[in-house]
This record gives sequence, structure tokens and C-alpha cells, in this order.
Amino acid sequence: MKPDQVEVAVFGVRHHGPGSARSLLAALTGFGPDQLLIEGPADADPLIAWTASPATQPPVAILAYAPSEPRRAAFWPFAAFSPEWQALTWALAHNVQVGFCDLPAAHTLAPETATPPSPDLLAGSEDDDENPGGTGPRRVVRRDPIAALAEAAGYDDPERWWDDVVESRSDGSSPFPALIDAMAELRVALPETDPAMAVTESRREAYMRKTIRARVSAGRRRVAVVCGAWHAPALTWPLPPASADNATLRGLPKTKVTTTWVPWTHARLSYASGYGAGIASPGWYDHLWRAPDRPVTRWLTSVAAALRTKDLPVSSAAVIEAVRLAESLAALRARPLAGLAEVNDATLAVLCDGDEAALRFVTDDLVIGQRTGRVDPGVPTVPLEADLLATCRRLRLKREASVKLHDLDLRRPLDRRRSVLFHRLRVLELGWAQPAESEVASRGTFRETWQSVWRPEFAIAVIEAAVWGTTVATAAAARLIDTSEQGSLAQITIAVERALLAELPDGFARLLAALAQRAALDVDIVHLMDALPALARAHRYSDVRNTDTSALASVAATLVVRICAGLVPAVSTLDPDSARAMRQRMDRVHRATGLLVAGLPEAVSSGAPPEAVSSGAPPEAVSSGALPVEGESPRRRWLDALSGLLDRSDVPAEIAGRVVRMLFDADRIADGPARVHRALSYGASAGDKAAWVDGFFADGGLLLIHDVDLRGLVDGWVAELSDREFADVLPLIRRTFSTFTSPERRQLGERLATAGPGPGPVAGSPTYDLELAAPALTVVDRLLGLR
Amino acid sequence: MSETPAPLERRGTDFPNSDLPDRDSLRSDRLRPHAEEVYAAELAALASVDDKPRPPHWLLSPWAVVTYLMGGTLADGTQISGKYIGSRRLMEVAVATLATDRALLLLGVPGTAKSWVSEHLAAAISGRSTLLVQGTSGTPEEAIRYGWNYARLLAEGPSLDALVPSPVMTAMQQGRLARIEELTRIPSEVQDALITILSEKTLPIPELGREVDAVKGFNVIATANDRDRGVNELSSALRRRFNTVVLPLPADIEDEVRIVHSRVTELADTLELPLVASAEDEIRRVVTVFRELRAGVTADGRATVKSPSATLSAAEAISVVTSGLALAAHFGTGILQPGDVAASLVGAVVKDPVSDRVAWTEYLEIVARQRSGWADFYHACREVS
Repeated sequence: MKPDQVEVAVFGVRHHGPGSARSLLAALTGFGPDQLLIEGPADADPLIAWTASPATQPPVAILAYAPSEPRRAAFWPFAAFSPEWQALTWALAHNVQVGFCDLPAAHTLAPETATPPSPDLLAGSEDDDENPGGTGPRRVVRRDPIAALAEAAGYDDPERWWDDVVESRSDGSSPFPALIDAMAELRVALPETDPAMAVTESRREAYMRKTIRARVSAGRRRVAVVCGAWHAPALTWPLPPASADNATLRGLPKTKVTTTWVPWTHARLSYASGYGAGIASPGWYDHLWRAPDRPVTRWLTSVAAALRTKDLPVSSAAVIEAVRLAESLAALRARPLAGLAEVNDATLAVLCDGDEAALRFVTDDLVIGQRTGRVDPGVPTVPLEADLLATCRRLRLKREASVKLHDLDLRRPLDRRRSVLFHRLRVLELGWAQPAESEVASRGTFRETWQSVWRPEFAIAVIEAAVWGTTVATAAAARLIDTSEQGSLAQITIAVERALLAELPDGFARLLAALAQRAALDVDIVHLMDALPALARAHRYSDVRNTDTSALASVAATLVVRICAGLVPAVSTLDPDSARAMRQRMDRVHRATGLLVAGLPEAVSSGAPPEAVSSGAPPEAVSSGALPVEGESPRRRWLDALSGLLDRSDVPAEIAGRVVRMLFDADRIADGPARVHRALSYGASAGDKAAWVDGFFADGGLLLIHDVDLRGLVDGWVAELSDREFADVLPLIRRTFSTFTSPERRQLGERLATAGPGPGPVAGSPTYDLELAAPALTVVDRLLGLR
Repeated sequence: MSETPAPLERRGTDFPNSDLPDRDSLRSDRLRPHAEEVYAAELAALASVDDKPRPPHWLLSPWAVVTYLMGGTLADGTQISGKYIGSRRLMEVAVATLATDRALLLLGVPGTAKSWVSEHLAAAISGRSTLLVQGTSGTPEEAIRYGWNYARLLAEGPSLDALVPSPVMTAMQQGRLARIEELTRIPSEVQDALITILSEKTLPIPELGREVDAVKGFNVIATANDRDRGVNELSSALRRRFNTVVLPLPADIEDEVRIVHSRVTELADTLELPLVASAEDEIRRVVTVFRELRAGVTADGRATVKSPSATLSAAEAISVVTSGLALAAHFGTGILQPGDVAASLVGAVVKDPVSDRVAWTEYLEIVARQRSGWADFYHACREVS
């Protein structure tokens, strides 16, 4: 076929420009091509058919990634108002052959190019901002050449420039030839200065030309090319000889890539999200595209509706006035139709009473928009993604771009399964749902609160996680097993806890084995102490979930033995900072030993009083002082070890104070007042005394108020002080007491005033009617899992 | 009891064929000529090149009004001075509002050129900025509707001749802009007299059994103080008859220096102060002090300072510099020295003798003292503090 029988129409568009999209549809209908080529990675051609599916709703994006290294990925987003998307759907509706013509992702993502290069539609990860988002006139023009033309013509909104200059042309001829001329001028005036970018661009344009040539030689006679306006002059027919382009494309690095559709969001299309070819107001453009008529009126009506949802009363009369103001502003600025600037000014002046904060609601909700796209479930993707989607559907969870709070009640099966899913995703480090603070006041162990936000880049995270397995459960389990082979002791114990929460029994057994082994080999007592609390919580949690955790208890008991053995050298001769860290660590271990005791056989057989866990508090908050639990148990071992620290002079003062307090609370020392007195007498240095008091009262004033014995001890000690001693000690005590809240201090004062002089434990005969109490005790035993 | 004087006779302010005396001769007799008189030449030049459509009874098109406010060069080479230094967008919204049938409410902290903008808008659109109601806590309803000449009322009974129209009523009859200053200072029941005027565009006179209908071109510009917002909060019925434009404090120091400099030059001109050279540096210093105290942080962002209770607006800076100029001209060296501005500057900053003085002393000792080139200023302020 001779070249002169072939006609190639190049339509240079503005990416994500609704005006371009409208003009393009009209031009395509007029031209009647038998082949349509669209700027986009050529290896994404198999995906085109899915755009016709009714289940696919833009905004969506083509995701291309290297399966061997999913982080090496790029997106090509499309909104409903993107000319490329409209061209795709037009071609499918009119049975016109359609394909992508840009450099395949196999080349752009190949490892030689250190970072993904910058096709117009490509959004890399957030930190790679060497994309067209740079500064300098060329960068700005290159990023959005039509916006640059509009700005030169004095327009702040390129879409309005398009409307005014392009759409309202009366002769009805296609605007695209004139645009090609304008772009040719711009390309001469602003040549590429960055050599790397120049190479990338020449490759891309060479490939586009190559594709056009291939289609023409395949027998197509009317070829339409839809590309960014910038490239249009390089693609006009007749094309230069193919030899130069072949040379450019020879020997390009190549890698294996997989492409798929992923849902996208309007928020990710905006500049604010750091997307190179982004637009400032996707919501407004979407509105311009969808609104059948009277865009300004419809827009301001939806603004009013949005403001009403924020409890800002807006009447219809105000909307009428806003429309009129927007129109007269447009007239004043000599524009045929009000644009976003005018409607925003009118919104501020009429609907928001000049309040910028109220306007910001509208900006976030409407101008940018929260629309999230949908992809046909049949689109080929990694099995993990398919499983995740199916699971979400089963659990009635939606992947939305807006923040959602889930208050889960673990007693309900659906919520419990949701919780398991969230925990498994957490094991996979997929940040879709994060633990959050509950708005519901009651917080039992049966309640969990999660906050979920879906971001498009999670699509990559899912693909990355796909190396672990084909379903969420197997992937999470594999991930845990990997941890059991690689992680440190503390990481493994955290993994154990997560495995229980995520109900992953497969991983759990492996983890336990690894845990026992790692604990046996680890000689650093600090590691052991860090590992114990998570283990104790996991053990405790098993009471709720009915997983067999007896193995855990024995591992934990071993840990305690080893901690106790190594405690003395670990706490000796520490500097004050390390002493504080160690003191906090000891607090955690102390609490953990309290948790451990309930499930251990020894504790039951010794007939120790059941642990008094307040039902409202999470396990971590169980206070040490309220647990006078002993027996042949880790708890007892721990307290014995603490007793060993009592009279050692090489224990730092803060730890010494804490140890005295722990033992006093556990009823293990009789000479409490004397010890307090001794620690705070003349011999010790001021700094030591202060640290000692800090350690002694480390858990705040509340216990001092409610624990009669403790208060008696402190009260007795103060009462015995001589006047001079009192004056010496006062600053130290005051220093610590000033950290208590004022209601605590006031309550403390009231208690002391009513108790009268001297310690007075509450009197009362300790006789119980066991027969009467028996049913209640049985229930308590069952609650605690003792029976 | 009505004290409202009959509106002054119009002083030939139809500027297209104005025979006003020029600026030099005005200077000799009146302390402060009206905007339409001072800028008569600019308004006439604008009217002659203005070929854009004008709303009924407007003397200029909206485009020309915005040009008048923001300044620019006309096609025939006439230079229009900028009256408002700041966002063009705000002025466009204000002018477009007046072209609709909603009234315009200018909000802002004291000294953000609300009255200034309102005067110039009225001058440019209606050719007359004097249809003015000054809002106070004692403003009576007669100031907004109408009053009576009681001598004639008693002698002749109710008649049109015995009626004393308010500025608002005059504006309605003539199709001009009425200005209401400090709207929120006016008692609520008096404010509400505006509702009928703004929504029905008529003013009934039940005593005469007739009504005054507003002629096209009538509208109202009200100004209100952000800080006094709570004094007499507008009822929502009244509020929804207004479009609100918030005038901000100047965005950057260059804008503010320009504002102060141009206004000070103008004022010194009208007040016939002897010419004083090199005021620029002192103006910049005063503006810097004001901006830093207002923002609570120094210009380089490295130190925080306490903000005094006073509103340190551009208008305050203008009066500080003007009184400094007077001092320099009459008692000083003829050159604006730090000492000349110090006294009025301290007076402007320290409104509350206790807390403001602390803020000011701290600023002086921590910021001003260290700054190179500020030694004279620091010592001058120390003397008067």
C-alpha cells in the first residue's frame, strides 16, 4: 500500500482534560478511523477488553510490575473524563481496532533504568519526584503543555482556556491541527535539557512511530493516534524513515512484566498526592464531564448539599444568589462561562459567609473528590488479591478511600472473622487497617477497633505479599514461619502473639519451636525480658480464643527462670538512663509474671487466690500491686529473685526503690517503713534519694489512694520523721508528688484526713459464708479458666 | 429624636463632565476631599475609554470599577493609581456582588481598608461616596429609613416636604450606592429596618400612605468589624441578604510597606506637612515591628514574641508614620528619625498598660536590641517606654 493512501490523524490531548475528551470524541466520530492507537504501555493491550465491562468503573489505573520484584511498578491512571479512557470506550463501542502505542512497560521497568522513567501518565512511588513534577519553565510546560498555553493566555484554569478557545470555535473544525502547530513551536522553544529525559522521550516517540508504521503496513488505512499534546508533532504523517527509530530502540533493556487493572481514586489524581501529571481538581472535572447541562447550577447545588451535611444551613435562595454571583463574576472577568475560580469565590462569599474553613470542606469533599474506582473481578491478578477480594466480599468489607472505623465485637462471628482478617493483613504488613482508639467507651477484651483507608498503592503491597502464598491465610502463615527462621527473640514472641490473634495454627507450632530454641540459646537477659510480656499476653489471650497454649506456658516459665538467674548481674551498676529503662522492663516482666500465673497447674494446685483482673482493663493494664499471687510459680521465682536484690549496694537507686515497692505490694517484706526511712536518710546522695522515690512511686498516685497498707506505710514513715529530717526530705517527696494529678493529690489528702493519725487497716472480721459464696466462686473460677 | 441632617446638595459629581476644581486647589480649603473629588480625573479617563456594558445607573462598567480600584494603565496611556493593594479576586467578587441584587458586606479586623474600599466603590459606581450612615450604638431607625422636620410636621401636617430622607432613602430614589459603616455596632432592631429595603427594594411611608421604590442601581455596602462581630450579630434574615467579602491583613511586608508609603505620602500631601525625606526606612521598620508583633514570631522565624492586644493594622502603621512625619517636620531635623516614630509607635502597641507593656518590653529587649542598624530605634523607644 502506498503511503499517500494512508491517513493518520494525531490528536494531541490534555491528560485528564474533560474538554479534550469532548473534542476528541467529536473528532473521532468525524474521522472514522479503522485503527486507534492510544498513549499507554503497549504490553497492556490484553487489558483493553476489560474497559467495556460494566463492572469496571473509573478511576482505574493500569498497573505494570515486575513479578520478580513487585516494587518495580508503575501506574497509568484513567478517570472517566480522561480522553484516553473515552477513546478506549469509544473504540470498543464502535468495533474499532484499538491498542496502546507507547514504550512497553517491559522496557520502562527494566532494571538498567534505575528509577522508572517518566511517561506522562506514570505515577511512581511518592518519593520519586524527579518525574515531570520538577520546577523550571520547561518542566512546567512539559508536565502540562496545554496548561502552559492557557497560562500564557491569562487563564488560571486550562479547562476553561480549552472551553473558551477550543470548544467555542464557531466554524466547527477540529482544534487538533492548530494544537499540533502550537506544540511544535513549544518543542522548538524549550528543548529538553536533561540528557536522561531526552533519551527517554526519544525512545518513547520512536516506539510510537514504530507502532504506527507497523499498523499501517498491516493494512490499516485510517489510523487515529491519541497522545499527550506534547508528542503530537513528532507523530504526524508522513513519518520519517524507520531506520533511525530502529537504531534508537535497539538493545533496550527488558524485563518480564505483568499488567493488570487496579482501582484508583480521585484523591490520587490530584497534585496534592504528588502525582506528576496530576490535576488540581479531579472532582470538578468529573462534574464537568458528567453534568448534562447547567454545570454551575448543579455544582453549587451539590456544594450546598455538602455544606448542609456539615451542619451549615444553606438555603435554596442562597444557592440562587451564588449562581448569580458566579455568573456576574464570569462576565466581569470576560469569560463565557463561570469556572472553578468563580464558583469557589461565589461559594466563599455567599454560602460560607466569608469563612475559609467552611470552604475547605467543599474543597476536600467535592473539588478533589473521594471517588474510588472499581475493577471487574475477572481481571487477571495475583491469586492473593483475588482471595483478599473474595474475603472482603464475604465479610462485607469495602475497600474505600475514605477513613472508616470498625468497632468489632469479638463475640459476634462476623466481627471475629473480620478481626482475624485484619490481623492477618497486619502480619503481611498490609497497612489497609490499623488498630485505632475506640470511640465506644466500653473496652473489654472482646472489643477491637480498627481504622481502614484503602490507598491505590496497596495494590502493589498485595502483589509484593503474593510471594508468600495464594490466600491471605497461607501467605500470613508463611510470613510467620519466615519470621521464625529469621527474627530475633523479641520479634518471634511478637509473631507468636500475632499468630494467635490472626488464628494461624500452622505458623504457630513452628513459631513455638523456634521460640523455645531461640530462648534457650539467647544469653542476653534484656532480650529475654523484652520477649516475656508479649508471650504472657499471648498466653493470657488464649483463654479467650481456646487455642491450646500450654506449650506457651512452659516456654514462658523457662524464660522466667532464666531471667531470674541473670537478674542480679543485669541490674548492677547501671547508669541512670539504663537504670530507668531496666526499671520499666522489670515493671513489664512483673506484670507478665502476674498474667502467667493463672493458667499454670502449680498455681491451681497451691490454691492461690484467683487473680483479680478487672474485666474492663486490657491485660497490659493489670496493675502489679493488686496481685498478691504466689505459689510454686514463675511469680514466686520472680519475687524471690527480687528479694535477692534487696540489700545489694550495687543496685541503682531507682531499681532499689522499685524492688522495695514490688515486694511490699506482694507482702514479702515486713520492714517497709524502716526501709523507706533508711533509703531517704542522710547517708544517701540527693540524686539517689530522688531516683529511689521515683522508683518507689513509679506507677502514680492512684494506688497510694486506694491501697490502705501502702498509704499506712508512707504515712507512718512521714509521721516518724523529725522536724529537720522532714525539711530535708520534703523537696524529694514534693518532686515526685508533683507528678500526680491534682485530683489525685486532693483525694489523697482527704483520705489521710479521714483516716486519722497512724496507719489503720480497715477493720472487719474476715469470716466468709463459704456456702453462700460457693456459686459465685464457681463462676469466677470458670471465668478465669481454672475449671 | 431625629438629628439627621438633610443630605448635602450634590457637588457636581457626575464626573464625565465634571467641572471640579483640581487637586491643588482642593488642598487649600478642605481637610479631606471625597474620593470622587480627589480622583475625578482618573474616573473621567476611565469613563471615556470604557466601552463595556454598564449595569443600569452605573457610571462605569464592572471592569472599569475593578481597574479603578486595582490600578493600571489605560489604552490612552492614562495611569490609574492602585487604591487597594491586595487580591484582585476580592475586588472582583465585591464589584460583581454589587451588580447582583445582593448587598455587600465587607468584613475584616480594624484597619484593613474596609471603609476605604467602600468609599471608592461608591465613588466609582455611583459617583458619590457621601450617602453614608455611620453605625454606632446610638444609630436610630431614622438614620436608615426617614425622619421628620418637626416644625413643618406641626405646621403643615405629614407631607413629603416635612419628610427628611435618610442617606439610604436618597440612594434608593437616585439609584446609587448607600454605605453603612460599622453595621454590627447598630442595635439589632435598627439593623432589621434594612431587611425590607434589601429584599423588597421598597421603603414604605405609612404616614403618607405611599412608598419609595428603589431605582435600578441602588445597593448597599456595609462594613463590619471582625473583632466586634459579637456586639450586635446580624440576624440570619439580614445576613442572607449580604454577600460577605473578608478583607485580610496584607499578605507580605512589601505590600504593607507599599500601602503605608502611598497613604502616608497622600496624607502628608493633604495635611500640607513640610516635605520629609527618607521616610522609606522608618516605614519599613514600623511595618516590620507591627508584622512581627501581630504574627507573634520574628520575620526570620527564629524567635517567638508575645502579641499585644492592640490590632496592629496597616491603618495604625499609617497613623504612626504620619504623626512621626509631623514631629520631624515641626520639631525635628526635617528628616524622619527613629525618635520621631517611637512615641506614637509605643502608644499604638501598648493599649493595655499591663500585659501590652510586658509584650512590648520583651520585644524591645529581645528582638530590637539585637538587630543591626536598630540601635537608634532601640534607644529612642527605651526613652519613651
